[in-house]
Amino acid sequence: MDWAGWALFGLLATAVLTAVLIGAQMAGLTRLDLPLVLGTVVTADPDRARVAGFFLHVAAGQVFALGYAATFALLGASWWLGGLLGALHVAVTLTVVLPLLPGVHPRMASHRAGPASTAVLEPPGLFALNYGVQTPAVAVVAHVIYGVVLGLLLQAR
Amino acid sequence: MTDRPLASYGLLGDTRTAALAGDDGAIDWMCVPRFDGEPLFGRLLGGPGTFRTGPADPATVVERCYRPGTATLVTTWQVGRGRLTLTEGMVADLGGRLLPATLLVRRLSADGGPVRAVVDFDPRLRSRGSLAVSLTCEPDLPIEPGRSIPVTVVPGRPLTFVLSVAHGEPLVRVEPAAAWELLAADESRWRAWAAGIDATLPCRDAVVRSLLTLRLLTYSPSGAPVAAPTTSLPEDPGGVRNWDYRYVWPRDASIGVAAFLGVGKVDEARSFLAWLLHASRLQRPRLPALFTLYGRRVPDERELAGWTGYAGSVPVRTGNGAAGQHQLDGYGWVVDAAWVLVRAGHHLYAETWRTVRGFADLVARRWPEPDAGIWEIRGDAVHHVHSKLMGWLALDRALRIGETHRLAERQRRRWAQARDALAAEVRARGFDPVRGTYVRAYGSTELDAALLVLPLLGIDDPSSARVRGTIDAIRAELSAGGPLVYRYPPGRDGLPGTEGAFLPCSFWLVQALACTGRRVEAVEMFRALVDRAGPLGLHPEEIDPATGAFLGNYPQTLTHAALVQAALAIRGSE
Repeated sequence: MDWAGWALFGLLATAVLTAVLIGAQMAGLTRLDLPLVLGTVVTADPDRARVAGFFLHVAAGQVFALGYAATFALLGASWWLGGLLGALHVAVTLTVVLPLLPGVHPRMASHRAGPASTAVLEPPGLFALNYGVQTPAVAVVAHVIYGVVLGLLLQAR
Repeated sequence: MTDRPLASYGLLGDTRTAALAGDDGAIDWMCVPRFDGEPLFGRLLGGPGTFRTGPADPATVVERCYRPGTATLVTTWQVGRGRLTLTEGMVADLGGRLLPATLLVRRLSADGGPVRAVVDFDPRLRSRGSLAVSLTCEPDLPIEPGRSIPVTVVPGRPLTFVLSVAHGEPLVRVEPAAAWELLAADESRWRAWAAGIDATLPCRDAVVRSLLTLRLLTYSPSGAPVAAPTTSLPEDPGGVRNWDYRYVWPRDASIGVAAFLGVGKVDEARSFLAWLLHASRLQRPRLPALFTLYGRRVPDERELAGWTGYAGSVPVRTGNGAAGQHQLDGYGWVVDAAWVLVRAGHHLYAETWRTVRGFADLVARRWPEPDAGIWEIRGDAVHHVHSKLMGWLALDRALRIGETHRLAERQRRRWAQARDALAAEVRARGFDPVRGTYVRAYGSTELDAALLVLPLLGIDDPSSARVRGTIDAIRAELSAGGPLVYRYPPGRDGLPGTEGAFLPCSFWLVQALACTGRRVEAVEMFRALVDRAGPLGLHPEEIDPATGAFLGNYPQTLTHAALVQAALAIRGSE
């Protein structure tokens, strides 16, 4: 297990993933804003939430990178294995993590929300399609790049 | 097909979807799982699907009303020597309980003797898809979809029906007795919500019904207010002016901000603005004319084959072709909504202010262009005077917000220059000095009742000859009799046929009178308009001035929001 590589390259890959998502948002491709979604768990102010969410996102990226690094340690690191893991990662995120989020997020409504709901974030829905029809494509690209970056960098070591 | 008057329908809702229930006990319209979903009951528009629990024999409605401050509808028929009562509603707050997302409860009870009733459950079910529907009854009845069941309701032994709908998840069975208790608990919550509405409003009961209707038509999962729960109810019976209103227009949400804030409902006001800013994110800084409930692009128009329409009005459409239009006025409504919050002492989040600045920048850049206008005219874009005035409003309110929020000096100068240039142009090209009134478009002699918002803007002093002249000219030339006005000269929009008096404009006239010192006239007109509501206090988009028949999609968010605005203006003029 390459602990130093995990620590450094996990951070780098998460930064690339974040940059791809922000770029897609700025290009009007998606309304998925992971730092905002994560940060509003701790604060309602969107600007403060993004800061908090950024650090939460980096931490989450580092945790996921641990799984990648462990798999590479077992099977050998390569860009294509990284891409495959990225595809698996995004499939779980879009079909499991995001749709389940309304159940635990204090500021995210669910599709069952009623008049008493004080949640302000709309639910992402399956494949996060509520945040724009191109959201799944953006998420797939960002996560596959994340895996490829990790695969390439850890392979080089 | 049904030819039952629209006014006879009551709204049942849970803030996720809604149903229209006729005074014969039939639910003839209901989409699932959301307002813009597939119609489960479509008989209103000549399609399949109805759910009737009502008298079997000829009967007279002796009472039909909402329980005060709630969304529970009660209808009582006199049938021979007995009386049959239908109490119905939808459970809005599911909390954290294991309940279906759509839960409709109906109870038939009798007094004075046994009454023969009929149950006709005939849902429109598609062969494929992830929708499941169940109907439970207590006491048990041999209900079969599509077959009428005769039943005798005996005093002291009511029949309770529970309609559950599941979409993409397992059906949850709810015992009728438990569902009835859930409905009662929901009623208590609505009553508490309504009790918090300012008691000093004129015609408070009508205003409360309007606010309840606005809340019922606001999709809770995203905070988006739909323009109406229906599609294709005709503006011109037998004609082609049939549009799908199950989407969200930024102006409705913006007016909702002021309406809810004005009556003390701050959370709802903030929620509308939050939704607007979130929904517009993909296209920012452009503001689409309308969105879906989740802020997505509205589907293209499609006609439902085989649906014969309300009163034979075809086509029955889903989707809305106005989605791609450039409507300058939308920016004015939205920026003004942000200003209303700031004026009330709220500080905008930095992100909200960034978005508002983006809108103002776009208006400063694009105001010289023609647009489709508030009425979404489907011909060539023209220079609508109302749009220009609302563009002025966007810039003016952004500048006012900039007095308490961070704003670059260069941006401030650019907006101020654009605002002043816009004012100069609209006064020169949009005003008819001979008749002393603003007109519908540059070079036109026609009037536009949307200009009745003029006294609220501040571009001209409300007591000025320009403002009073415009109000008086609209009253004279666009009057449809009594308190009613047309939105523009009927039929002058490039479409075949004509239309009725436009109710939001009629309420804007009340507001204009109240804001220009003519309070007595405003109150008189307001009361006359409130009296034009259906027996349940609901308003459509338009009214046939000759017959009083309701026209257009129903009930209408914009009309109810304008009613609240008018009430607030009257209160403010005291």
